Amino acid sequence: MSIDRATKAEVDWRKLHRVTPLLNAWKVAAALIAIFVWQYSDTLGQLDLPATQLLLVIIGVIVVGSLIGLGYSALAWSRTRYGVSPESVYLHSGVLFRQQRHLRLDRVQTVDVTQPLLARLFGFASLKIESAGGAGSNLTLSFLTEDEAQRLRNELLARAAGLTVEEAADGAAAPSAPAAPEREVLALAPGRLVGSLALSFWVMAFVIAGAVLVVLAVVNQSLAPFLGVAPALLGAAAYVWSRFAGEFAFRVATSPDGVRVRQGLLESKARTVPPGRVQAVQVTQPLLWRKRGWWRLQVNIAGYGAEETTGSVLYPVATTEEVGRLLYLVQPDLGDPRPLELLEAGLSGTGGDEGFVTSPRRVRWLDPWVWRRTGFRVTDTVTILRTGRIWRRLVIVPHERTQSLGLSEGPLDRRLRVANFSLHSTPGPITPMVTHIDADTVRELLVDVADRARRARREAGPERWMLPRTARLAVGAESGPGEETGGSGVAGPAVPPGVYGGILPSPPVRPVYGGVLPGRSAGTTSPGDGGRMHG
Amino acid sequence: MPTPTSPALDIEGVQWRPISLRLIPVRQISVGIFLGLPGLVTIWPAIVVGSAMWLLPIGLLALTAWLLWLIPRQVRAIGYAELEDDLLIRRGVMFRSLVVVPYGRMQYVDVEAGPIARKMKIAAVQLHTASAGSDASIPGLAEEEAARLRDQLTARGEARLAGL
Repeated sequence: MSIDRATKAEVDWRKLHRVTPLLNAWKVAAALIAIFVWQYSDTLGQLDLPATQLLLVIIGVIVVGSLIGLGYSALAWSRTRYGVSPESVYLHSGVLFRQQRHLRLDRVQTVDVTQPLLARLFGFASLKIESAGGAGSNLTLSFLTEDEAQRLRNELLARAAGLTVEEAADGAAAPSAPAAPEREVLALAPGRLVGSLALSFWVMAFVIAGAVLVVLAVVNQSLAPFLGVAPALLGAAAYVWSRFAGEFAFRVATSPDGVRVRQGLLESKARTVPPGRVQAVQVTQPLLWRKRGWWRLQVNIAGYGAEETTGSVLYPVATTEEVGRLLYLVQPDLGDPRPLELLEAGLSGTGGDEGFVTSPRRVRWLDPWVWRRTGFRVTDTVTILRTGRIWRRLVIVPHERTQSLGLSEGPLDRRLRVANFSLHSTPGPITPMVTHIDADTVRELLVDVADRARRARREAGPERWMLPRTARLAVGAESGPGEETGGSGVAGPAVPPGVYGGILPSPPVRPVYGGVLPGRSAGTTSPGDGGRMHG
Repeated sequence: MPTPTSPALDIEGVQWRPISLRLIPVRQISVGIFLGLPGLVTIWPAIVVGSAMWLLPIGLLALTAWLLWLIPRQVRAIGYAELEDDLLIRRGVMFRSLVVVPYGRMQYVDVEAGPIARKMKIAAVQLHTASAGSDASIPGLAEEEAARLRDQLTARGEARLAGL
């Protein structure tokens, strides 16, 4: 009943762009042609036809396949509508099996503008709105014109942020939500991407395997070794290529809408992650990258799940200094007066510097190499877990994003009075965990983190990040003195929202470790430039 | 407390509630059906063929016997505690674990019972958060306790609801 009312009254329904069937048709056509070739290639060869007639048959098949594909896509397009209301996005689709999907805007996790190669060439884009319902819980609008996609993204983000869009409900001509002012923070040079891939395990393995094969082939005077491992080599090559193509032209920018990540050589993606949607951050460094000082940053975002690999990369290769700036974007306050030193100790330090607590000395024969590295640090705003000596890893989880906590121990651990601590985050590439921490320490850690997470939840910013910040601040100010040490916990959420736009708080609440960000107006692009996608 | 004390997992001031001991026969019966029965059945080909074929029934029956002995210990080691803001669950004899799940993080609650468990009037309550890692299930609760806990968790979850 209420849904009916909503769909009739407030939602303005729109159709996807007319070109959609054309852009989709080739997939259907390609599938049909592939099936045809697979099934009838033998029969076709046996037919005793002149070459011209054979050619005509093949062309006929392609034309018929394309027409069927086009027809189906056109039917699907004609039955697809989408709509936006102040509360939700709607998509009604399906030819035989109809589907109506409604997605609440305050649950939006990310908004992606994706351009597959073909669509990109002709200036079209698809818009993907991700919610937190696990894998496949998204709403994809394909295809729209590039401008329309960006306009819609801005509108959705503005509404999700809690801003009211004046008169946007009347469709095309209405003054749409202005693009949030955006400033580029980092852009990845192709050279560094190539270098990072060359120094990755897979490429090294590929080169070494190739060399061994060549030697074998020369010695044995046969190509048999190549044929044997060809699939594996092809797989490795495909993986490296997908990394290269996916992470090419990687750029990170900030806006009040959140962090904007652009990437892609052939298919380009522009992803917007609104403030507070990052569940955990991980900074890793394989051994081969150490000399260069390179790090890879990944994030957990609810709704992506573990299978989404490209979406979870915040930055493929960053220098140590860039790590600070990137972390600042997703977690402005590390809750420590010396954030840079803390970060340094977390990235490459060992022992108890900067308040890190490591495994006790008595487990050194269990973890001879890493016991001084494995450690944790709890600040007012985040839990930091540090692991790995060869493959260095640093995981940062904000207290208000902690889902649940766990302790585990085996018989040997119990003997040594140690236990393993894990912090449960949403599904993604990051599983925050430290092993072999002293029993008493780890128990205190559990209680401490649970307590801080509870307080942080209570004081966490709103889902609609622009809405009642001020109200909340006022509330915080009222109850602030009442909460004894809890006051420090407020520091995180209390940072004004402008910080996300790169406008630094003046005076900074805490020393700004990503402080290399330029000033207020220097890099702010005009709204018109805001959503541009070409490299 | 029947299980040995653990330096890390014994949090002071927590009153652990045990689960229903009726879970012991339920688990033992299913082990009997899925391991013991095949073990007995494979004795026949072993008698016919002889020698190496004996490994199968012997292995299966030994595993069954070990599990039958282990299950009571495991079940007695499972405990839970409802604190003001969190649900605590502990389990395990040799490899022990403890989970702390805040009520405010709850997405939904499952109450499940298989055919044998239904006969014995017990059910499992599982609390789901947005994380796949938080394995917050309490097996073997008496049916009325399971229903009470479900309602309690739902009520507390609503009262302390947080975003993601």
